[in-house]
Amino acid sequence: MESRLEQQPVNYKISCTGLSKSFGNNNNKVDVLATMDLHVKENEFLVILGPGQSGKSTLFRIMAGMETPSTGTVTIDGKKVTGPGPEIGFVFQRYTLFPWKTVLGNVEMGPKLRGLAKNERREVAQHYIDLVGLKGFENHYPHQLSGGMKQRVSIARAYANNPKIMLLDEPFGQLDAQTRILMEQETIRIWEAEKRTVCFVTNNIEEAVYLGDRIVTLDGKLPGKLSHVYEVDLPRPRDFTDLEFLKLRQKITDESQLVL
Amino acid sequence: MATTEVNKTPEIVQPKPSTISNLFKNIWFLYALSVVGFLTLWDIAAVTKITGEFLPRPVEVLYQLVDMFLNPLAGKTLLTHLWFSLRRVLIAFVIAVAIGVPIGVFMGINKYFRAFFKPVFDLFKPMPPIAWISLAILWFGINETSKIFIIVIGAVVPCIINSFNGIRLVDESLYDAARMLGANKRQELIEVTFPASFPAIFAGIQISLSMAWTTVLAAELVGAREGMGFIIIMGMNTSKPAMIIGGMVVIALTAWLISVSVSYLERWICPWKVDLNNNQ
Repeated sequence: MESRLEQQPVNYKISCTGLSKSFGNNNNKVDVLATMDLHVKENEFLVILGPGQSGKSTLFRIMAGMETPSTGTVTIDGKKVTGPGPEIGFVFQRYTLFPWKTVLGNVEMGPKLRGLAKNERREVAQHYIDLVGLKGFENHYPHQLSGGMKQRVSIARAYANNPKIMLLDEPFGQLDAQTRILMEQETIRIWEAEKRTVCFVTNNIEEAVYLGDRIVTLDGKLPGKLSHVYEVDLPRPRDFTDLEFLKLRQKITDESQLVL
Repeated sequence: MATTEVNKTPEIVQPKPSTISNLFKNIWFLYALSVVGFLTLWDIAAVTKITGEFLPRPVEVLYQLVDMFLNPLAGKTLLTHLWFSLRRVLIAFVIAVAIGVPIGVFMGINKYFRAFFKPVFDLFKPMPPIAWISLAILWFGINETSKIFIIVIGAVVPCIINSFNGIRLVDESLYDAARMLGANKRQELIEVTFPASFPAIFAGIQISLSMAWTTVLAAELVGAREGMGFIIIMGMNTSKPAMIIGGMVVIALTAWLISVSVSYLERWICPWKVDLNNNQ
């Protein structure tokens, strides 16, 4: 019985195999991603850590189906990703809320597009608005909210579509340091309340150690390629000043010296 | 320490002196000064006849307005003349929006339609609508049709331009967001393209309306028997400058009223956009 289990190949939730990406034509080609493989387990919180210009956003856009890779494939549950779709919840760095929709309107957009009846999608949207802590702000427009609140809406909007995986592209990059820490705590709270396979892009080492089950780093130079992988087995909630936390943070810092 | 310093602050701040220099920092005083100053200068110019015989005093313009309001001119009182002009504007405006917005929208969303329409549109766009007056009269004669035709020509252009640009300038990332939520092509159009470009389209409609109001006067300057343009021509033909200026005042007031009511309308249909503008 046990041996049979071991023989089965690991079923990854997300598999990127032989992925690479270049922009431009033959005369003026820019390699953004070198060939890479990346696998994410079900309900894993994977952080992709890299400085600016390391191709991490491009990698993400490919995983989400917004860009097509030059070579290789992305599969989710063994099914090839061919374009953007509701099985992936995407949280953009620049919030990208619909400014003409209220908080409720934004969050219920996914269910609405899938053709859910009004009362059903209201129910779903309200659940996730409550989950991200925006109860009472249902009828506010995005411009009336702070950056942190906007990103909460964005997270709720992605969750409300019941996606298989969540991709968060530097979601807290535009927030001030204090709001950022709060949002990191909230991210873990929300993820623990409703587990999903999460990939989270950041350029902040502390954020990576705080959030990730596993951290993969990208070299700070184009074309982007995977450099190190760290398993983080610190218990949650993590403490920014815990010795083990600081040790890992230092280790990652040492090993990811920027090459200029 | 800190408390003492805070307590000290009021001693440093001088009490507000109510001097003349402060009066000149009062916005309402400056508004009043602007209007009164302008009217005074005008009155002085009129009394001293610095610009010749044909500048009436402000008060004469006011008398003329009251007179036109009470007594018919060419068979119609001031309000009737105003109504004739407004009616032309409204009819032409509705036609211009009904033609211009769909053309602009289709140019924005379909590249083949754009390629087909754009060259001709670019040719016609810079032509001033007034240039069409002679042609319109030859085609339709001196009647309502020719006037409305000219106004439509003037009002349709901003509708097309703004609808077209509004759709082309929709933030690409909003489409990404909608696609990631599962939107198909049709849903992208309904849920993103139209609402996102609505403020620009509405702005085009606003410009159209003021274009229509400008063009109606030009249209009425030639061969009209009623309307605000007719009053102005009448003032010229009978050497009554007060009538001309009175007409101009009514035209300006009407234009102002139209633009105020349209911006209220906008606040009502498009609440998120008006707030955005106020925040900036």
